[in-house]
Amino acid sequence: MAAVAPARRRKRRSLPIGRILLLGFFLVFVLWPLYWMFNTSIKPSDDYLTVPPVWFPAAPTLVHYKAALFAYRGLDGLINSLIISLSATVLSALLGTLMAYSLARYDTGGKHLSFWVLSQRFLPPIGIVLPVFLIYRQVGLYDTHVGLIIAYTVFTLPVSVWMMFAYFRGMPKSMEEAALVDGCTRWEAFWRVAMPLAAPGIVAAAVFAFIACWTEFFFALILTSRTAFTLPTVFRAFIGFQGAQYGEAAALAIVSLVPSIALGVLAQRHLVRGLTLGAVRG
Amino acid sequence: MQPTATIRRLKAAGAPPRLSAFAQWADRHFKWLLVGPAVLLILALSIYPLLFSLVVSFINYDFQVPGHAFVGLKNFERVVFDPVARWSLLLTASLSGISVAIEFVLGLLVALTMVRSFPGRGVIMSILIVPLFISPVIVGQAWTLLLQRPFGPTNYILTQLLGQEVTIGWMTERPWLYVSLIIADVWQWTPFMFVILLAGLTAIPPNLYEAAELDGVNAWQVFWAITLPHLGPMMLLALTFRLLDAIRMFDTIFIMTGGGPGTQTYTASYYLYTIGFTQFHLSQATAGSWLFLIFTALIVTLLVRRLLKVEPV
Repeated sequence: MAAVAPARRRKRRSLPIGRILLLGFFLVFVLWPLYWMFNTSIKPSDDYLTVPPVWFPAAPTLVHYKAALFAYRGLDGLINSLIISLSATVLSALLGTLMAYSLARYDTGGKHLSFWVLSQRFLPPIGIVLPVFLIYRQVGLYDTHVGLIIAYTVFTLPVSVWMMFAYFRGMPKSMEEAALVDGCTRWEAFWRVAMPLAAPGIVAAAVFAFIACWTEFFFALILTSRTAFTLPTVFRAFIGFQGAQYGEAAALAIVSLVPSIALGVLAQRHLVRGLTLGAVRG
Repeated sequence: MQPTATIRRLKAAGAPPRLSAFAQWADRHFKWLLVGPAVLLILALSIYPLLFSLVVSFINYDFQVPGHAFVGLKNFERVVFDPVARWSLLLTASLSGISVAIEFVLGLLVALTMVRSFPGRGVIMSILIVPLFISPVIVGQAWTLLLQRPFGPTNYILTQLLGQEVTIGWMTERPWLYVSLIIADVWQWTPFMFVILLAGLTAIPPNLYEAAELDGVNAWQVFWAITLPHLGPMMLLALTFRLLDAIRMFDTIFIMTGGGPGTQTYTASYYLYTIGFTQFHLSQATAGSWLFLIFTALIVTLLVRRLLKVEPV
């Protein structure tokens, strides 16, 4: 015991320093690009070319925000993104909840159906998007809001289903069984009893679906052009130009960060369950 | 009034519900009606396009050429014998492998420091996970702003730190362009590893550590004997999900290097995108995406099957 005690004391004292260093380094690593983007978005264009770089702009300006939103049609992208992401989120949460309930309570299709749904999550988008592009051009869904809403609904469904599946599995059956005994139909037991109880889980799944749609780039790049383009695709305008448009790109980035970070931090508690698709019992 | 109402309700409860023929049918097939819409949608927008693309990959689908001649395996041949395609596959494997490895180690280290509670843990947690909510396009844009020559601050900071002029072309010179892409990926996805591994670490029963401490085992032995075996399934889960995402790498490349210079940063996704959507060799691109799909399917079956075995849901 006497030999162990000092060793332990030494360990306790040295541990926090390594901890603080590592966490400090990682915090700076995470925050630094965000700070620099914000800094770039509010500094006058003249400040870009200076050496040393301007760490804090003396005369902050909002001109880049104005240009990004109006001259580069960032505002249109923002509105499109909102319409498309919100619609796809609602659809995905609704269909996902229905399916998950069936899988969780009635074991529909056994392991095969649930595995099949999950496997959709792992299809490389490039394999799907090319034929979807061809089909969309034929049926007139190319560059429409509806087209992208459908695509995003399908693309977020697997995760919605699996999050809700975990949620329903963790919920006791007894309330619904009582409702069924009382003469409710299965639909009533689901709609009036299980759904209200699952509301927090549904909201969490919806937040994840929204963030996935809001940040998606690849489908939007290929399936839209002039009318239904989303916010991330506006960044195409800033590729390959030197200097002059840094502020606009940064301003647009800051604008599109706000909703997803706000929602993400709100849904933080459900994050683990979502990311691990129900494999973790929280 | 009160007793009558109760009796009535009890009566209604005992009687079988009176339903129309449709409602009875709906109640009998309830579970299939619930999965129906989702399954139909997935079939329509995922399975049907896949089958359609299989057809496209065997014909010559060209906007300029009328009619679609059957060309057999020619489209597949074009991809297999394209050195750029082979390069892109190699690059995809190495970039995703290296990024995921770094993310795993860094994520594990941070998770280990965060597992015990300390003042400010909640706030730090909130900040560390922020990259997960940011579009990869914006991540690419942010790192472009930092690394771009000559205006970005990175070379300036390095010059000050090293005491000699640093003029690295972070997005134009080998090997720095790969370093840049890996840094951007690590920035975005280390939090993912961190969150999952932290969940795994908190699930390990604390009495195991208490017992080890009583036995006077050192920290390294504790890690090998307790942490690692208990965290195994979660590590596999984190690695699987991240790897399957990493091999589709596209967005940051699109913004940061545009595949260039030349074809030096063509990943598999970027290669197929270029073939399909800038050169409009649609059939060749679908053939290539089928080959890529087969590679992915192999990895999926290997990893996910094992995963489901280890971690019964």
